[in-house]
Amino acid sequence: MADKSKAVAEVDLAQVKQIVDEYSQQRWALIPLAQKIQNEVGYIPPQSVPVIAKTLGLFPSQVQGVISFYEQLYTKPRGRHVVRVCRGTACHVRGGKTILKLVKQHLGVEEGETTPDMEYTLETVACIGVCALAPNVVVDDRVHGRMNPKKVEQLFRKNGD
Amino acid sequence: MASCVTPIASGMAINTHSPRVTEHRKNIVKLVLASHPDSCMVCDKGNRCQLRQLASDLDIGLLDFQKIPQMTVIEEVNPFIERDISKCILCAKCIRSCQELVVEGAIDYFQRGFSAKPATLSDLPLEASECTFCGTCVAMCPTGALTEKEKTYRGTTNTTVETTCPFCGCGCSISLEVKDEQVVRATPGADDAVNNGALCVRGSYGYDFIHSPDRLTRPLIKVNDDFEEVSWEQALELVATEFKRIKSEHGPNSLAVLGSSKCTNEENYLLQRFARCVLETNNIDNGSRLYNSATRIGLGPSTGFLGSTNHLGALEKSDVIMVIGADPTSSAPAVGYAIKRAVKIKGAKLILIDPRQTKLSAFAHLRLCPKIGTDVALLNSLAKVIIDESLIDEEFVTRKTDGFEDLTKVLEAYSPEHVEAITGIPSEEIRATARLYAASSHAAIVYGTGITQHMNGTDGVQAVANLALLTGNIGGRGGGIYPLQRENNGLGACDMGALPDFLPGYQSIADDETRTKFQQNWETSLPVNHGLTAVEIVELAKEGGIRGLYVVGENPVLSFPQSRIVTEALASLDFLVVQDLFLSETAKLANVVLPAASFAEKEGTFTNFEGRVSRVRKAIDPLGESLPDWEIFLRLADKMECPMPYSSPQQVMDEIERLVPLYEGISYADLDAKSLHQAEMGGNHLETRRIFGGQFLTGFARFSPVEYVPHIEEAKDDYPFALLTGTILQHFGTGTRSSRAWRLKKFSPQPFLEIGRSDAEKLGIGHGDEVKAISPVAELSATAKITDTLPEGTVFLPLSFPESPATRLFNIELQPKSKTPSLKLCNVRIERV
Repeated sequence: MADKSKAVAEVDLAQVKQIVDEYSQQRWALIPLAQKIQNEVGYIPPQSVPVIAKTLGLFPSQVQGVISFYEQLYTKPRGRHVVRVCRGTACHVRGGKTILKLVKQHLGVEEGETTPDMEYTLETVACIGVCALAPNVVVDDRVHGRMNPKKVEQLFRKNGD
Repeated sequence: MASCVTPIASGMAINTHSPRVTEHRKNIVKLVLASHPDSCMVCDKGNRCQLRQLASDLDIGLLDFQKIPQMTVIEEVNPFIERDISKCILCAKCIRSCQELVVEGAIDYFQRGFSAKPATLSDLPLEASECTFCGTCVAMCPTGALTEKEKTYRGTTNTTVETTCPFCGCGCSISLEVKDEQVVRATPGADDAVNNGALCVRGSYGYDFIHSPDRLTRPLIKVNDDFEEVSWEQALELVATEFKRIKSEHGPNSLAVLGSSKCTNEENYLLQRFARCVLETNNIDNGSRLYNSATRIGLGPSTGFLGSTNHLGALEKSDVIMVIGADPTSSAPAVGYAIKRAVKIKGAKLILIDPRQTKLSAFAHLRLCPKIGTDVALLNSLAKVIIDESLIDEEFVTRKTDGFEDLTKVLEAYSPEHVEAITGIPSEEIRATARLYAASSHAAIVYGTGITQHMNGTDGVQAVANLALLTGNIGGRGGGIYPLQRENNGLGACDMGALPDFLPGYQSIADDETRTKFQQNWETSLPVNHGLTAVEIVELAKEGGIRGLYVVGENPVLSFPQSRIVTEALASLDFLVVQDLFLSETAKLANVVLPAASFAEKEGTFTNFEGRVSRVRKAIDPLGESLPDWEIFLRLADKMECPMPYSSPQQVMDEIERLVPLYEGISYADLDAKSLHQAEMGGNHLETRRIFGGQFLTGFARFSPVEYVPHIEEAKDDYPFALLTGTILQHFGTGTRSSRAWRLKKFSPQPFLEIGRSDAEKLGIGHGDEVKAISPVAELSATAKITDTLPEGTVFLPLSFPESPATRLFNIELQPKSKTPSLKLCNVRIERV
């Protein structure tokens, strides 16, 4: 398992190096570059920080600072599907908290974590703007409204099979 | 728009203390306080805390906000810096000083919102990061978030003394904080023309040696191989009697003095007067012979001056900086900072010529790794390309220089293709380097012991000078030649005439007029013949020609090549006097040891590598019965019935000012007002060392064509490795002081030998293995450290570990012109113990 994850990291790093090379010495490019790496690799491997820094002419600590500042940039591999459970006021009132608890139980992970099979990453979100359908769960780009325990079960069975 | 990003326009009214502004400010400080722990009573920052100061200035008493301090603990093992992030107010002063002053970039903000904090890469402890422990961030931190870790005193001191750092040739200003006659803290000084508010680990934490329990506090006399403590009266009486006896029995030239590149200008001045007037010999030299003579003797004929041709500020303003044979990030950190700032912030281009990878490598635009010892060929080839491609500054060369034709002739043999075979650097890289260097009108060359300590050191220096002269890069707004000095007062000791052939100010001893001037002032006659240089003194001592030796603040047993022969030579003397802070390896051989006071215990001046004269001020009384060196010289002269009529360093400086044109206009009053550039004094630059815009003392500079002569024997089967020596950041000199600075010692406790990964694999050596380096003359052991910074077939041995002195491996081989022993490179074989 350890060997496998190490091998994965090495593949990712090689991919990063390819992407980074286009941006040599262009300090302005840090954020677009980080986004590009994330789009292509799925996340920004921490080992790539020194590589990015060297190519752009920045300090590794600076690159890390920017990456850790933005919510949208990830330093850990993410699941193939991202599940966002809404914790907005309307959803809360309609039992969003219980929905989150159930989702956690189903996936066996906490907020911000990814299932070991790399299928799901669980996140919460403050409000997605469709309070009329509360409580809401968003899977990738699809909104699932009026959630209840049964629908939670269906959701993950459907996606899992 | 936020006020801090609003551009200032004319006619704009700015209120800084209106009730609204004050109210906002108060709220902001209250918010900062709300996330700050209530640990002021036990915080080491005490009443130096600027947050506390600000809160009381704004009249903030008890807080009406709910307090949510962020408690985070960082476990660290280094002895220098302690981080308590709970007290961090996120002002970013530490981050900016690390990125913009020291340009190390070890820390930056990490994460956001409540969890935001300054952190290293991967949030590791400082010792696992790029941090060099320069202590600049600690000095900058307004609160107790960053403090000195292992300290002797927690509170706030009443006395702060502005003085000059006693380690390397940068001459940084430092503030010493004193509590009950003890130096308890060192911070970057207020007068920061050299160091710009930064220091290095030696400057910030190296002062520990002052209060080392090893300090000598009473004079010692050797009786039956054991030292006995005696009074000053007894010790000086013995020294005077013995010196007088040797002088009358064997003549004055059987006596010699080794002066100190660590002592003040005033002390060196007194010491050379002592040698010349009291002992009546010119056998006086100083420790800078070991690294600086090639510069003095090489640059003299080329440009007519002996130190750097421009000041550090101008180095930072250069467009192109060539660093050759130097690792300023460890040997002269303030210069390293300036170079890194020039590259990172001002966009200068760095050409790095070094076989080793150093901390500067990451900043280099062009990095050349020539075969070791082939610098002269490379520099000549660069000059040839510059001439061939018509990149010379024609006006400068025509109007200001001599000997261009001779140079062209000699350079003919140095085509890049030919030199490629010698240096191993592709001819296209040589051409690219020459073009980059010549393209700028503000190009600087920084060099160090990687040039001067080779057998062809003087040639290397002259080849550097030729390159600078061809392109007219001598002075002005940026550019110039910057020879690094290893020690705090290496340049000053030479300026003051602690040399066998010069009176103070490089006024030749052979010149009748000069001699008359000094004879009239000192009311005595001066010896005419040239004296002996440092290593020659030791060599002659071995043959019995030198009978008595007075060593002041030097440690030849460790700093000279072949410590065994040096030890034998010193042991064979009739009489050896050593004056030092500690019982150094040399002092152990002495008949009499005189305890000297450290830099913190005396007044005086140091001259740094630029030629800047900075004040050294007394912070505490001399420890025990130790005395400042100047006072010892005066007392000894009295005892020898040849008194020297001074009563304070100030009086000595007044005389220096009068008799040494280089130091005209440097009175303590002026220095106290401002540390002066010699060039800033008076209007007449011709009388000063500094040259701006090519104003040469002699009117012209002269090209000194030099040939590349391979001095290094090809590595033989028996000794297949090239061993390089050099400085590391945490230690200094022969380690007499730095190994007794307990925090430095704790951080870097034992000698190591760096060896490349592939070489180590071949020899089956692992990281941390005990290895032996064996040269044709000696061997020593160290711990192996595997690195990726060395070319194959090369190992690196740091100086400054008294238990394994790198110099021991070298044969005594003197450079013909400068009489500097070759101490940079030798062939060794490596064995696992």
